[in-house]
Amino acid sequence: MICNALRTNILYTFLLLAFALTSSAQVSVDAGKTIFSNVCASCHAKDMKTAATGPALAGYADAWGEYPREELYSWIRNSQALIAAGHPRATQLWNDYKPTVMTNNLGLTDEDIESVLAYVDCKIVNGPECTVVGPPVPGPGETAIKKSNSWMYWLIFGLLAGLALFLSRVINNMGRIAAAKEGVPYTGKTLAQTLTSKSMITFGIFALVILGGYTTVTRAMNLGRQQAYQPEQPIEFSHETHAGLHKIDCQYCHDGARRSKHAVIPATNTCMNCHAAIKVGSEHGTAELTKIYASAGYDPSTNKYIENYDDMSQEDIKKIFTKWIGDTYMAEEGLAELDNEGKRVVEKQWKGLVSSLTNDQKKKIQGPIEWIRVHNLPDHVYFSHAQHVTVGKLECQQCHGPVEEMDIVEQHAPLSMGWCINCHKETEVQFKDNEYYQSYMKYHEELASGKKDKVTVEDIGGLECQKCHY
Amino acid sequence: MKANKQNIWIGGKDLNNDPQLEKDLQMEFPMDNSELAEKALEKDGNRRDFLKLMGFSLGAATMAAGCDIPVKRAMPYVTKPDEIVPGVATYYASAITQGGDFCPVIVKTREGRPIKIEGNPNSSMTGGGTSARAQASVLSLYDVNRYRKPHLMLDGKMTASSWADLDRVVKGAVAKAKVRVVTNSVLSPSDRMAMEQFAAGAGGKVITYDPVSSSAILEANEQVFGTRAIPAYRFDKADVIVSFNADFLGTWISPTEYTHQFAKGRKPEQRKMSRLVQVESHMSLTGSNADNRILVKPSEQGAAIAALANAIVGGINGPALNAKATKAITKVASQLRKAAGKSLVVSASNNVAEQILVNAINNTLGNYGNTLSFNAASMARQGNERDLEVLISEIKSGLVDTVIFNNCNPLYDYAKSTELAEALSGVSTIVGMSYAPNETSAACNVIAPVNHVLESWGDAEAKKGEVSIIQPTIAPLFDTRQVGESLAAWSGGSAATLGAYESLKNVYKAAYTPASGFSSFESYWDAIMHGGGMSTNSTTSSSNFSADMGSLARLVSKPASTDLEISFFEPVSIGNGQYTDNPWLMEMPDPVTRTSWGNYLAVPVGFDGVRKMIGMNDLEDGDLVKLTVGGKEMIVPVIQQFGQMPGTVALALGYGRENSGPCASGVGVNVNDCLTTENGLTQLYNTNVSVSNSIGKEDHFSCVQYHHAYGLKGTEKDTGERINADEAILGMAYGKAGYQGSLTERSVMYTTNLNDLDADIAKLKEKREFAQHLNDQTLYPYEEYKADRYEQGHHWGMHVDLNACTGCGACTVACMSENNVPVVGKKEVSRHHEMTWLRIDRYFYGDIENPNTVYQPLMCQHCDSAPCENVCPVNATNHSAEGLNQMTYNRCIGTRYCANNCPFKVRRFNWYDYTTADLFPANQVKLNGEDVPFGADNLTRMVLNPDVTVRARGVIEKCSFCVQRIQEGKLTAKSEGRRLNSSDISTACQSACPTGAITFGDQNDKGGELSKKLKSDLNYVALEEINVRSSITYTMKVNNRDESMDA
Repeated sequence: MICNALRTNILYTFLLLAFALTSSAQVSVDAGKTIFSNVCASCHAKDMKTAATGPALAGYADAWGEYPREELYSWIRNSQALIAAGHPRATQLWNDYKPTVMTNNLGLTDEDIESVLAYVDCKIVNGPECTVVGPPVPGPGETAIKKSNSWMYWLIFGLLAGLALFLSRVINNMGRIAAAKEGVPYTGKTLAQTLTSKSMITFGIFALVILGGYTTVTRAMNLGRQQAYQPEQPIEFSHETHAGLHKIDCQYCHDGARRSKHAVIPATNTCMNCHAAIKVGSEHGTAELTKIYASAGYDPSTNKYIENYDDMSQEDIKKIFTKWIGDTYMAEEGLAELDNEGKRVVEKQWKGLVSSLTNDQKKKIQGPIEWIRVHNLPDHVYFSHAQHVTVGKLECQQCHGPVEEMDIVEQHAPLSMGWCINCHKETEVQFKDNEYYQSYMKYHEELASGKKDKVTVEDIGGLECQKCHY
Repeated sequence: MKANKQNIWIGGKDLNNDPQLEKDLQMEFPMDNSELAEKALEKDGNRRDFLKLMGFSLGAATMAAGCDIPVKRAMPYVTKPDEIVPGVATYYASAITQGGDFCPVIVKTREGRPIKIEGNPNSSMTGGGTSARAQASVLSLYDVNRYRKPHLMLDGKMTASSWADLDRVVKGAVAKAKVRVVTNSVLSPSDRMAMEQFAAGAGGKVITYDPVSSSAILEANEQVFGTRAIPAYRFDKADVIVSFNADFLGTWISPTEYTHQFAKGRKPEQRKMSRLVQVESHMSLTGSNADNRILVKPSEQGAAIAALANAIVGGINGPALNAKATKAITKVASQLRKAAGKSLVVSASNNVAEQILVNAINNTLGNYGNTLSFNAASMARQGNERDLEVLISEIKSGLVDTVIFNNCNPLYDYAKSTELAEALSGVSTIVGMSYAPNETSAACNVIAPVNHVLESWGDAEAKKGEVSIIQPTIAPLFDTRQVGESLAAWSGGSAATLGAYESLKNVYKAAYTPASGFSSFESYWDAIMHGGGMSTNSTTSSSNFSADMGSLARLVSKPASTDLEISFFEPVSIGNGQYTDNPWLMEMPDPVTRTSWGNYLAVPVGFDGVRKMIGMNDLEDGDLVKLTVGGKEMIVPVIQQFGQMPGTVALALGYGRENSGPCASGVGVNVNDCLTTENGLTQLYNTNVSVSNSIGKEDHFSCVQYHHAYGLKGTEKDTGERINADEAILGMAYGKAGYQGSLTERSVMYTTNLNDLDADIAKLKEKREFAQHLNDQTLYPYEEYKADRYEQGHHWGMHVDLNACTGCGACTVACMSENNVPVVGKKEVSRHHEMTWLRIDRYFYGDIENPNTVYQPLMCQHCDSAPCENVCPVNATNHSAEGLNQMTYNRCIGTRYCANNCPFKVRRFNWYDYTTADLFPANQVKLNGEDVPFGADNLTRMVLNPDVTVRARGVIEKCSFCVQRIQEGKLTAKSEGRRLNSSDISTACQSACPTGAITFGDQNDKGGELSKKLKSDLNYVALEEINVRSSITYTMKVNNRDESMDA
């Protein structure tokens, strides 16, 4: 009887131990997805099939198939090194994509890379259905590092829990053996007794405090961060149409980016440069474009700016723009007169226009369009677009993500200080062509002698407090 | 008593070895115990409250965590103006004028909002320098107290009205053709023309007077040379300058211009220094910069001028002068004669005979045409206060029905304001073209509010032929109208509909001649608008000197026989009340007395022979006394003033305002009604005066003289040895003997005389070598660190030339404006809580009874081995690779360890929420009982620099070397792909300085401006021996005092 119980117990214990030992690091599509969205997605398209800032990943198997797997690993970890080494595939890619440099990913293990590749394969085969069961997609604000490491904590937790259970079984068995030796009937603690024991309660409270503290701190750090923020704008302006389809340069509209700290949301008259001619949109027809005209005071029917527009009443404004919407509707439908559906369309579009251009503070239709700011930095952060765009020659997408694919713009990067710092640590300064940096003689010497292979932003003080806070 | 010339002190307490001072200086933030007790009563806190508060905080934090981030909106322009790029500053050349005060400037605007004043380097007058008043003018634009609408008297009450109604009322009054326009000096030629035409059309005349009168000079020049003007002075060309009570570096006529000139003549490196002799009783800013001061009582000024005239011109038998001054004047006369043609004598006297004597002296010395001339004569003072007396009698005899005040305040600043006020009660229409409520506007029944100069079109001719164009930098914030437009509207005709811009342009179009080198008027107009103005060679005809010298001696003012005399002076900061509404200027300490927020009676101090300083009537700093001047009794606080002549006291004008803005009303006492008149001209002194013994202590004694002092010396009690005051602690800890370094005299300040310069340079070198030797004993291989960290890129540094600095204070206000430095108010100042990042320390040295003065602008020294950085528990202050001592507000938790460990005492702590960065009103302080705390009002907040963080309560702040300007300059150079030039970056203090005393730059730029300055052998580093490796270099102060004059 005792022996039986003992045997099962020992068996159970070993089972537990075996389970704990086998659940070590391994390749998984799940992990791959996490790594992909944290590390790769800023440059590589999510569908794996189109080229973005970086090439489409779907082709990796063909392109790298003839080379040892390790070379692909080292390409992903440090592409510039491989290019410098003269690797044929690397050189080819560099010729296609330079001067865009792939960010180094020295922290990725072989397993990590395999996971990503597994995820890529999964995407190729299953398309968007390649969803994986696992921890929910991380919420806004969590930084890349935290996300990629969380599985490790679960693992350690599992190991320790297993160990604890194992030890408790050992103690239990010892008690049993001791009791058997002395011939006393062994009365093991019931589950309820174990759970309400002093040590368990102490442990529980301790765990709660730690967990609570951890949650508070991480939540507090995330206060004010809004990664993936995607508010609805007063005008359904599509970057996908403008920047993606029509390939309008970002800085055509955001003309502050090269010369100011603000990228600048364009003035309505910037829209008018094109939309004085393009008066009906491909997706929304007159519904959205009329809002621009109503803001600027442009009558699309007569192609003229309306005189004394600022002093006009809402009724007069309504007459002008409902006429335009109605006329366009009739022209499209080939009608001579507005039918009921047309009247409904006109009324709906007018209502949309009014609600977009007015709010509690702004009662008048005339005047600026109040866009919703997507990217917000705290007041104590000084950030200059000009520094990054003109001097650093960064692509907009590096921080803002593939805006040209976004129908509605969302905040791509976490915009946290850790995120800034990481980039400053890795990014190479445009050192050679800019005469300003001549004053860094030592670095120039070290570059020439090969002692240094690049000068990062960190090297010239890019991590110092007063680069951004003053 | 003659003392060792290395003996430097900041005030009597320092010389006395005052125990309280020593105690205070050991603490970074001395605590007033009564204050703490008061606080405890106020808050009545206990454990329960603490728990409640804690609960509330937790709840609030939870709520905050649960709330959504507020939606932020971004509003672009509909049609973006070409010249505006959001986030990039736009600059406009313009000029700041206020009465006769003038400064050519460049206005920095952001998103269409003026935020900072810079000097216009194109100006031949100022060379890009500014004054504290010009710097502060941008804050006046956002004065919450200013008139926002026209007002009319309705049923005995001033009521907001419309311009149409107002114009109807004024036109009706003007039609009666009994109009007088009262104004301060008008620098704008077009405004003056408009005013005169209007007055002529309305059967009246223009009456011009100045808050501080220079009528006698104008009249003397009219009598003697036939031209009523103030000559153009050239202080840079004079080798010997004698000034009779004229504070030409501080307040007299055109101080910024004169300061700029004066510094040019003081270059000890080139062994070239003018000698300035100041004859006065109260130490003015100019007196403090003088090499020799000759002490005469206010009533003896005439006698002193007559004595000098007698010695130079001869034949003047003036009244008797005190013996010491007589001897000194004789010496001065011989020096003047030696420097004939290269000397200059000026006087602020308001006695015509005395001014004619001054003219005679300059004439005999052959100075006309050399150091002063009527070509490009100054227009800064045009007033004649006798006309106001005429106005009073005209009103009384019913000749006047309408009085229009052009933005002036005679009911406050005119000596006979009471008589004028009485007379005005018989005038039916009184129009105030006022900017903000004041004593005069309170007596008006029509208020036609005027624009701020930054909202106006205009012109200014500060000197004949030197015209500045004033262009608006923002549309009028309120329903106001500039003077020219109002006058045009009231006189009717075509001008009424033209508008200010077109009217101005027409004036210049009419005067334009195609010969001026421009292809068209438009290109000429654009050029003068862009550059800020133009100058034409102007010659003013003046006849040869002719005066009846014999009769003059009788007409100079006679010395009084009374024991005590009081002189009144215009303070550098607030003028005679014209600038009292401006909190920046109210908080700016007087350069000499170092007091702020009120006028303090300067009393002389005597020396008892045993190292004790005794003020008159045993008065001490902060004592309240009953002051009786004429028949008027006042209670005023006292400040002991070195260099104040025994038997005289002095008090500042401009305070004690009524019916005025929140920060001006009821601060200090008004002494304008204590002024006397002689032949109708205002005299800034009174001989009928008595001062009581102490009758109490002032509640909030706001003098910063002993705040944040460093490196003081005192006397060891046992041995009588002079040691550093901050060594008391070291003495205890280590036992003085043998403690290495502690007995080293601190290198705070080095002074010398021009004659001893070479010897003292050698001594300075020795001292610096010794400091270097001490520093070499360090365990840390600093030179290695330096080579490693700073050999490439930038290494910022600064040079401050103490021989150029006059202590005018423009830099301190510029710093406040640039860096959003808060104003804290009188009570907070009294608790050592003033927030200035840049303070100007004032030291006396030499003769205790008649000392010389040196000013030391002191800001964060950006030590490369900074003591503050090591003690911060959260690393909120640390060092950059470019040598900046960085302060990160968001990391700071407010332990104040850094401030305690700063040897220069330059770190400031936000005890309250001065700039209202958070939501809790309890954290905000009021300056002077205003409704909304200064800085909380959205109008005032428009002045904030958007590139500098507004600091919250509980964090330390300090000079950042204007890091925002460094970043901007670097970005410009990087964007243009070129190396950084010296001209790319200038700090706010540097660009404000009228003498170029401050040079900021990159120490690694070997060809740069800074490197040139760093080569001078007069250079020293403050507290060099403590091995903090400061980045700021000062120069040894050199004076040109003639010791023989003191005998």
